[in-house]
Amino acid sequence: MLNTIKPRGRVIFAYLFLPVALFVFTVFVPLVAALYYGFTDWKGGPVKNFSGLANYAQLFKDEVFWHSFGNNLYLVAACIIGQIGIAFILVMLINSKLVKLKSIHRTFGFFPSTISALCVGFVWKMIYDQRTGLINWFLVDVLHKYKGMKDAPIWLNGEALPIMLILSIPLIWQYIGYYMVIILSAFSSIDTSVLESAEIDGANGLQRALYIVFPLIKNTLFVCVTLCVAGNMKAFDSIYAMTEGGPGTSSMVMALYGYNQSFKSSNLGYGSTISVAIFVLSLAVIGGSQFLLNTYMTDDYDKEEKRIQRKREKEARAAMKKRMKGGRI
Amino acid sequence: MGSASGVQAVKKGSGAIRVRDGLLGSVMNIILALFSLMCIFPLVWMLYSSVKTKREFNTSVISLPSKPTIENYIKIFANKDANLIGAMGNSMRTTLLSVFLIVAFSFIVGYILSRVSFRLNRPLYVMFLMGMLIPVHSLLVPTYIIFNRTNMANQWYTLLFPYVAFNLPVAIFLVEGYVKGIPPELEEAASIDGCSFNRTLFSIILPVCRPILITIAIISAFSCWNEFSFALVLISNNKAITTVPLALKNFTGQFSSDYPKMMAAMLITMAPIVLLYFIFSKQIIKGMVAGAVKG
Repeated sequence: MLNTIKPRGRVIFAYLFLPVALFVFTVFVPLVAALYYGFTDWKGGPVKNFSGLANYAQLFKDEVFWHSFGNNLYLVAACIIGQIGIAFILVMLINSKLVKLKSIHRTFGFFPSTISALCVGFVWKMIYDQRTGLINWFLVDVLHKYKGMKDAPIWLNGEALPIMLILSIPLIWQYIGYYMVIILSAFSSIDTSVLESAEIDGANGLQRALYIVFPLIKNTLFVCVTLCVAGNMKAFDSIYAMTEGGPGTSSMVMALYGYNQSFKSSNLGYGSTISVAIFVLSLAVIGGSQFLLNTYMTDDYDKEEKRIQRKREKEARAAMKKRMKGGRI
Repeated sequence: MGSASGVQAVKKGSGAIRVRDGLLGSVMNIILALFSLMCIFPLVWMLYSSVKTKREFNTSVISLPSKPTIENYIKIFANKDANLIGAMGNSMRTTLLSVFLIVAFSFIVGYILSRVSFRLNRPLYVMFLMGMLIPVHSLLVPTYIIFNRTNMANQWYTLLFPYVAFNLPVAIFLVEGYVKGIPPELEEAASIDGCSFNRTLFSIILPVCRPILITIAIISAFSCWNEFSFALVLISNNKAITTVPLALKNFTGQFSSDYPKMMAAMLITMAPIVLLYFIFSKQIIKGMVAGAVKG
């Protein structure tokens, strides 16, 4: 054979050592540590007793934790409906021949998702403010629903509307444009002649959206749902900025509760237990949503397509391996 | 295309349809314009409110400033306690270093995983794949414990660890997917010409991978600049190294009732991101979407 460029093991090791060590140290070591500390009553000081399953028993009875988990699920549901639903409708509108300024809508719509969630939280805290907020300004000065700012609702105490609904609006607002752009890119890969022939056959806009566009971009929508689920299971920043879980613990989410337990009550042992629970529950929810999508939303055609794709990938991998075994790459 | 022009001809032929289309079109345009306005208005509101005084803002929330003043900005820059400018420097350093490491590591690891066969190839691949699935917020408390135990918390380099580690898996898979699309003949030709592995990696493959590496740099720059929760946990005991979101949090605690000043502070910290976004919006949108969908 010709000159081989297959590197020696030593070279590969030298290249891979740093990234792999860093990754293991930052991701897997803490995971193992959480498992260990979750069985102790460590408060951060020198005293650390092994307490067996006591923390886990406490967790199962901890109403605040399960309420936070419920709030996470609420956010997931609200954002799937709000973000992906609205984004899909906007995509259907934006693709019409009658709409102007498409690229401006895309640029402006995507903008909020580039801002930090913390900033978004602070901005919306101002928008919701009772005396100087935009919403109450609109209700009082434009619609004249209340006599003065003093009578208008204090949105963030959760009395006028459920607090989680109030908190999910900024989250939805931030990412509509993001999903809109993702769906838009899937939409542009649809063959226009399909839509045109449907139009000739007399399908109206709604029918085209539901029976032609939706099935064709279903896979992208699945990706969006997965992103949405994963993103909202880790909600932290914007809720920290707006209510810090309050009033009381009514808007607590899992990550924030783990933070509070660990650093405000310096209960690091129990905080570790919560971390393990967040890990397990998030994976379960993400896995569960995948399972639901795969069983109820795919038909035989999709399955066949997936099978063929997997087979093709496998063949490509095998071919690559064969080439590499030849020692040429 | 013939059918499309046919449709168009039918449309032009009928006046009633044209009126209906005009109406529908204006409704659609209005809905989308409202959406765009809603997305951008908070930024505009903050821009012009930040040059109002607190008193003027409190008496009328929405009106344009009668006498624009940059007093808020001056006060923020003069405020040594909040140290927003220092925080921006810290964020800049952390972000640049993280992005550099993410790009370098993902390029090397992604290429090796995709093209070099060795015993640990598959296990490493699976490990990084798992890293992508791990809900990072479950690591918030445990990373604090580990970093505190090893005395690595509250250092200037502390945040590089989580930022690089959490952005690495997606970046690796972007590179890996991209390298798969490069024909192996390229490297074979290099090998025939006597190119060493290192040389092939950096003089042949690196330039070819440029677009995907730029995408990775964009995604990770935004996520590092905006990251809050790990900064809060890992470096909040060392004021000298606070990053922007952390400084903003301290600042808002201090001036929670002075909204114009808070807006000014937020605008200062958002400025690099906003400018970058509106200059390169096309590439940024494309990059972030590619990262999300392929990742």
